[in-house]
Amino acid sequence: MKQFNIIGTDVPRTDGEAKARGTALYTDDMKLPGMLHGRILRSPVAHARIVHIDTSRAALLPGVKCIVTGEDTPKIKYGNWRLFPETQDELPLAVDKVRFIGDEVAAVAAVDKDTAEEALALIQVEYEELPAVFDVDAAMQSGAPIIHDYCPTNVSVNRKIKYGDVEKGLAESDYVREDTFTVHSVSHAYLEPCSAMAQVDLDGRITIWTSTQAPYIVQCLLASTLDMRENDIRVIKPYVGGGFGGKMELRTWEFCAAFMAKKTGRPVKFTLSREEEFLAGRRRHGMKIRSKVGFKKDGTLVAKDLSIQLDGGAFNAMGPTATFLCGNFGAMLYRYPHYRFHGEHVYTNKPPASAMRGFGAPQSLYASEIQMNLAAEELGIDPIDIRLKNAQVTGDEIPDVAVVSSCGLVESIEAVAKMSNWKEKRKSLKPGRGIGIGCYSFISGGVFNWFNTQYPFSAAEIRAFSDGTVHLLTMASDIGQGSDTVLKQILAEELGIRMEDIRMTSADTAMTPQADLGTWGSRVTLMAGNAVIDAAKKIKEQLFGAVSARFNLNVVHDLECKDGRVQSKAKASYGLSFGEAVAMVQKANRGEALVARGSYTPRGKGLVTPAFGFGAQVAEVEVDRKTGLVEVKQMWTAHDCGTVINPRSVEGQLAGSIQMGLGYALSEQFVMEDGKTLNTNFLDYKMPTANDMPPSEVVHIDTYEPEGPMGAKECGEGLASPTAPAISDAVYHATGYRCRDLPITPEKILEGMKKGK
Amino acid sequence: MRLPKFEYHAPTTLKGALRILEQEGPGVQVLAGGTDLVVKMTLGRLKPKAVVDVKGIDGLDQVRFDPNEGLTIGATARIEQVASHTEVQRLYPALTAAAGVMANVQVRNMGTIVGNLCNAAPSAENAPPLMALGADVKLVSLKGERTLPLDDFFRGPGLTAIEPGEIMTAIHVPPPLSGSGNAYQRISARCGVDIAAVCVGVAAVFDGSVCSKVRIVMGAVAPVPMHATEAEKLLLGQKWTADLLEEAGRKAMEEARPISDVRATATYRKQMVNVLTVRALQEVYERAQTV
Repeated sequence: MKQFNIIGTDVPRTDGEAKARGTALYTDDMKLPGMLHGRILRSPVAHARIVHIDTSRAALLPGVKCIVTGEDTPKIKYGNWRLFPETQDELPLAVDKVRFIGDEVAAVAAVDKDTAEEALALIQVEYEELPAVFDVDAAMQSGAPIIHDYCPTNVSVNRKIKYGDVEKGLAESDYVREDTFTVHSVSHAYLEPCSAMAQVDLDGRITIWTSTQAPYIVQCLLASTLDMRENDIRVIKPYVGGGFGGKMELRTWEFCAAFMAKKTGRPVKFTLSREEEFLAGRRRHGMKIRSKVGFKKDGTLVAKDLSIQLDGGAFNAMGPTATFLCGNFGAMLYRYPHYRFHGEHVYTNKPPASAMRGFGAPQSLYASEIQMNLAAEELGIDPIDIRLKNAQVTGDEIPDVAVVSSCGLVESIEAVAKMSNWKEKRKSLKPGRGIGIGCYSFISGGVFNWFNTQYPFSAAEIRAFSDGTVHLLTMASDIGQGSDTVLKQILAEELGIRMEDIRMTSADTAMTPQADLGTWGSRVTLMAGNAVIDAAKKIKEQLFGAVSARFNLNVVHDLECKDGRVQSKAKASYGLSFGEAVAMVQKANRGEALVARGSYTPRGKGLVTPAFGFGAQVAEVEVDRKTGLVEVKQMWTAHDCGTVINPRSVEGQLAGSIQMGLGYALSEQFVMEDGKTLNTNFLDYKMPTANDMPPSEVVHIDTYEPEGPMGAKECGEGLASPTAPAISDAVYHATGYRCRDLPITPEKILEGMKKGK
Repeated sequence: MRLPKFEYHAPTTLKGALRILEQEGPGVQVLAGGTDLVVKMTLGRLKPKAVVDVKGIDGLDQVRFDPNEGLTIGATARIEQVASHTEVQRLYPALTAAAGVMANVQVRNMGTIVGNLCNAAPSAENAPPLMALGADVKLVSLKGERTLPLDDFFRGPGLTAIEPGEIMTAIHVPPPLSGSGNAYQRISARCGVDIAAVCVGVAAVFDGSVCSKVRIVMGAVAPVPMHATEAEKLLLGQKWTADLLEEAGRKAMEEARPISDVRATATYRKQMVNVLTVRALQEVYERAQTV
């Protein structure tokens, strides 16, 4: 293990105090003089032609300043897959047709929110209802209602992966099983509802403050939908109260805020209500997963044939990426010599599903982890042992993906088995108690460039000052995960300075270097971290040159930045304070400021990801055998995120992942009837609370990822996957009920136990 | 949504409050904790022309226990005040259990037990334990006051026996008899911040192991909280056995008339009435033995 100074220590988060004191400003906290408040009119029907919209009565309401419908807009479609324009299927406001309950039809800007709300009720829309479909089976039937004219099959994306020879592999297997799983849709349920405020300047340029994970994506797509130039749009990300994948696209209110600001000349702000978020917000894909696997008698995996249908809802959103990735997640954890995947992204008349923490992995891994246990049981092998036998190890090559350059999976499985006292407990727990395991692997950012950026994936600029401080500028977006803190830590480590010596500007597209693809896919620490190191190295080169010249050092001298000094490694007295060294560089350059840019774009790492995170988790549960209620008593986690840069942040990611996994497994779901979401508040959307959190123990497996900054890789999303399968397996152990269709409800458990008898 | 325009009154005497109710006539609402009323108004579901805030009236916030008279809960006594009251905890564990788990900390600190009853939600958490305990409620108007058994109070979802011009000033719970016990059981998907999908309150008196008095009340299984009458009949005068309890649970299940909604299916609710009734009865019996 490398020796670090600030890396690996519990540096307090730079945003912690502001958030704890309530002084951190979120978009909805902001007000500008003359600002208007926007509200969105949403479709009450799941699928219909818009015959006529009459806004005249609403326009007469005192205080209403602007009303727009799809017909008023430039009607330019958008979507994150710019490389494949045919996948860009969304318009900011519906034109001709609505496709789900909650689809955006019109927007009103008024002097206050209540007036805007009242105006919505005065807009009259005449709909001609069309037949609608609410699940993938119905949508894929021949003769099913067509949701988008361009796509008569309702299957908008087909993704295939194939290596080895699956038929041959299955034929050569001693044991083959085929299972079907269905997994449901859940909400990101970020605590800050979406919010955006736009202002137009005297030249007609737009500044938009928005609760987003991807300022650069919003900038580019807002420019194209408004038919403006990218540089005419400035996106600023204030504090963001969570995203989890739900805020990484251009959204209607961002477009409307900007468009209506242009029309009225006044700032316009939209903030969604919680009800709107639950009714129409993005969500995790429900999926139907068919998996056929072949094993040797001893438990060695031979082949897997996986097909997945994603319930995409009415638009592609981030569905194409999820379709792509769940195929990779199907064969990322274990070694499959023969593998085949077919993923289909299916349109239905429901709110669009999109990216959500794990990006296809929680669904795909739920199926593969449960199936692993089913196979283990029939083969008479312990679930731990069958995993150890097939686990990826450092140096494994995933065909057509990449070589796994660091992997602590085996160590993770061994560690959780030990922590949980697995061998003992799996044999002898009292009735109603159970123990179960789930494992994961995940990407550390994507190598794919469907957004088709012309810039580096991440970039950083460092300005060094003779007072010993530096200014770090990066478009990387801290949405609560703590990247501002971690990037500062990386920079402080690299330059040998203190956290408080660093001023930081992040996620402002007009001020920070182009570009950064945003916070998703667990990419920020690795990619932005590498960009920061790249820039810091360039600064160091200059500082080393100045110190070398100042002390007339032999060229063989190694120099270092350490403890606020720039000095010879062999003899620290040959050195200057950081500020003095900066001043020397400036003098040598006749006053020119010391500035450097760095960037990172993964190269030579295949087409999926530059690095993989791994881990294993064991859950112990107690099931009330009369009510079917599950109480999770304990979670044990061992995971490999490479170098742990900030232990407390990593533990925070773990706690958040367990909380989400708990809800995904046991309590969260959209209760829907004919496309309408019935539980649109936190009373009836059963997100676990702090009281529901089980005790948790964690071990960080010590690995070093050569591609990562200081050896680090992902830890934000992979951990979102193992909790549901671990709990599910524990419930099986406790009751004999094996859940093949999430969520695990008390009713299913009681029913399953009855059948088991 | 914009709050509708309404008159806001904050009288400091009960008489004053009653006069305002009389003057304003229909369309006036009484405000205590506001955790139901203000939410409904904000959502536009209720548009009162006037609101009478009774929080400023002296003496209405009492939670008082007297060994002879029993427990009195005033109209503005907060849920948390009741849940944390030591005598309530000792003698009315059913009430502590219901009041202590319902909604969340903020609602328990603002909301009132009386308000929970007057809101008359089919799932009102405090109704089953209070009905089981044989509570009655005091309704006061300018014409005088009347006392009504809580059993006769609920008329439908959101509907009660309160007449125009009346305020529920207090709930009264008789003192527990010796050899008695009471208990509350509920099902919810989360352990905190939740609403019961189904709940059962039970109170019973025992003569040795023979049940001499029993009241079983189920919540969220019908338009109003309801007695499991057949189960009560079955247990009365009988010697307490495990088989008898199982049978009582089944009877209660047969009596429940739940619907399926976002919180649970009718089938599950019925099953759970069975389980919760048996558990509450067991708890009640154990408590009775230790009193």
